[in-house]
Amino acid sequence: MTTSSVSQPAENKSSTAGFIAGVIVVVILAFLARWAKLAVYGLELPLGIPGKALEYPLWAALIGLVANGILKATGTYESIKSGFRTELFLKVGLVLLGTTISFKTIVTAAAGAIVQGVIMVTAVYFFSWWLGGKFGLSDTLRAVMSTAVSICGVSAAIAAAGSVLAKKEEITYITALVIVTALPLMVIAPLIAGALGLPEPVAGAWFGGNVDTTAAVVGAGTMYGEQAQQIASIVKQTQNALIGFVAFGLALYFSTVVEGKKERPSASVIWKRFPKFVLGFIFASLLFTFGVIEKGSDAASAISAMKDWAFCLAFVCMGLELSAGEFKKMGWSPVIVYLIVTLFNTVLALAVSWIIFGYLLPIPAGAL
Amino acid sequence: MKINEDWLSVIVAFALIALAMIGLISPAWMIF
Repeated sequence: MTTSSVSQPAENKSSTAGFIAGVIVVVILAFLARWAKLAVYGLELPLGIPGKALEYPLWAALIGLVANGILKATGTYESIKSGFRTELFLKVGLVLLGTTISFKTIVTAAAGAIVQGVIMVTAVYFFSWWLGGKFGLSDTLRAVMSTAVSICGVSAAIAAAGSVLAKKEEITYITALVIVTALPLMVIAPLIAGALGLPEPVAGAWFGGNVDTTAAVVGAGTMYGEQAQQIASIVKQTQNALIGFVAFGLALYFSTVVEGKKERPSASVIWKRFPKFVLGFIFASLLFTFGVIEKGSDAASAISAMKDWAFCLAFVCMGLELSAGEFKKMGWSPVIVYLIVTLFNTVLALAVSWIIFGYLLPIPAGAL
Repeated sequence: MKINEDWLSVIVAFALIALAMIGLISPAWMIF
């Protein structure tokens, strides 16, 4: 690739302008989502649905989706998409969320989450790998898909793709699949949990073990209740911490078994792939636990409100980043596999979270 | 040096926490 020294500063300037414009669009859409939430809050909607049941994640994702269509139709999407930073906004929100949860709760919920995570990741990964083989998917595609559906969607797919040297279009394809299925699950899962009468900790653990992207997990938890949001976030982050181990195992399998190489990949990949923002989340919780941030103080209220804004920005970006065009390129077999595995994941996660968080390691409702 | 997104999110979040703790960000401005 050759780039002239004259055109590079001009390109940098336009990419910075695109990034800033993108962030401004996201912020405006987040204000619209907040306005929509407040506008319907006191209303009684058709089918007897109370307006307050429609929480801001739903409005933010819907408004993001509509804007996605408008920006693509007007040809402006590509120039500003660098400002659509779902992961960054989400991680900022999660670290801020840490200031509302005691360290004891994190330890208690994480213990259950580790047991749940090991069961879910193992069962779902191998089921997906087996089913992908039956449908004739390539080894690299099913490795990326199995990691995405069993751990945490987009970032897990990228980590797995690095380990197995997957093609770029395979990552883009799985990323699109993850977001397309996570968005409806974010809305449907809290409705099912409500119909089943699940206590908030069990529902939160179910969302954390089942919904594929961390943003949609937080969204589902937010719609179900404050405690569900907290437990869902802890369970998902614990599961995310397993990415490194899976990435290492995959790199080992592909280099020694598939490619027949003698040298083994370094275990340093476990730390390299560890989601570092989890450390920020834990440190923020320690500030709350040791009383540096007092519950009910002005600082705590401001941080809690900023957390909601950060999540709202992330949900808007989720809607903005949805792309279904990728499916035509690779055919429908991977879609069928992904949907069957998602259904398996959903049912198994419900049973496992019910047993662990309802009976083995219960967290009393409202105990945060 | 390029900062990874994980660390960037931690830096931004703690900057916001610090600003809230010293009273530079009021809950009234941020109300959601």
